[in-house]
Amino acid sequence: MTAVMTLGGEIPVGSGLDSDVALAAGGDQSAFERLYRTHVSRIHSLTRRMLSTQEADEVTQDIFVRTWQKLGQFRGESAFSTWLHRLAVNVVIERRRSYAIQRERMSDDPTALDQLTVGPARADLKVDFESAIAQLPPGAREIFVLHDVEGYKHREIAVMLDIASGTSKRQLHRARMLMRQHLSGD
Amino acid sequence: MHQEWTDRLSDYLDGELPEDERRAVDQHLRGCASCAAVLNDLKRVVARAASIDARPPQADLWRGIAARLNESGEPAPVVPFAPRETRRLAFTLPQLAAAAALLIAVSGAAAWQLEARLGIPGSLRGGRPHDAGGNSGQARQDGGAEPAIRLDSPVSLGVGADGNGAADFARLGNVSMADAQYDAAVADLEGALKAGRGRLDASTVAIVEHNLQIIDQAINQAREALVGDPANGYLSGHLVEARRRKLDLLRRATALASETD
Repeated sequence: MTAVMTLGGEIPVGSGLDSDVALAAGGDQSAFERLYRTHVSRIHSLTRRMLSTQEADEVTQDIFVRTWQKLGQFRGESAFSTWLHRLAVNVVIERRRSYAIQRERMSDDPTALDQLTVGPARADLKVDFESAIAQLPPGAREIFVLHDVEGYKHREIAVMLDIASGTSKRQLHRARMLMRQHLSGD
Repeated sequence: MHQEWTDRLSDYLDGELPEDERRAVDQHLRGCASCAAVLNDLKRVVARAASIDARPPQADLWRGIAARLNESGEPAPVVPFAPRETRRLAFTLPQLAAAAALLIAVSGAAAWQLEARLGIPGSLRGGRPHDAGGNSGQARQDGGAEPAIRLDSPVSLGVGADGNGAADFARLGNVSMADAQYDAAVADLEGALKAGRGRLDASTVAIVEHNLQIIDQAINQAREALVGDPANGYLSGHLVEARRRKLDLLRRATALASETD
């Protein structure tokens, strides 16, 4: 088995996706395009849910360009998909922070649950789940996506967002209670 | 629905509650249908979120990405060996002062040795550059054949000219210390020295080469330090001085070679 040496170490060239990672790390754009096509749905869905449909295209492109630039640092210690996803989350968080809304979004407003005004009537049983996520308040939405959709733990989210773990739990419960109103008629 | 209980249902569902709280919630749920219903709703929300499908973007984003990849070049460079530990050279002023003193001592000693062999009078030291073409000392004193180095060029500093006194170092028999002229002068002298080194004894060649090596090291160190601190007048002066001493040493060695026939 051959290998490609990168700054992050030796990436073995095996078969399938692993070989594409190694080839892309060596500068092969065709291999990188295959990686893009394999992962773009998940990455675009993440950005769309965490940010907005309008921003998702641009940020997804940013993520893949950043991935290309950092491929040499990929050590193969985790699955490429895991590494890519974490990189994507970091880019999304950076983007959100650049809007300087983190502080306001993470405030533990005791009246937050009273702000629900967008819940569909019980007759709208087939409301699109994605649309419901998009209507969540930004902070609750971010943590709902990271925890319930992407599977991160509260302690991981707390580190990523630089917030207390308790804040993450409260925002998650807030999000679930809001989402519950969308699904209560299913 | 009892908010004091429902507020704990997400933590309950996620297994985040301490054991005693979890038992208390269990007990409440057994007797409270509304809270149990909320818990069921939350379970459905969590199940739906976990099973939500990823959707591709509506437009193909690859073309835009590929264009940006071409702008940014290849990913982090591929290296054939383990990354070498690199360190940035950094010098304190005392270190540079010590280096300068060493440089002065070394090149001064070399110059003294060469002058002793040449018998150059002190009045000529630092004067016009010697002709590499074989003119005698007297001919040079009389303004004989024009050397490769321009005699009437203005004095300027190649690096970091800041008017802090470094210009004093730059003056070397009216040879400009600007890169182009300096490099040309050094190249001419090196060529002349190479041509005439056969006329020098081995010990003299060794002295000259050893001291040129030391001076080159000083020049390189000063240049590297200036990369990190380009506005540092002391570094600029140190560089100019090192370059001046190299030129001086080359000039004297070339003169020695030209006269040792």
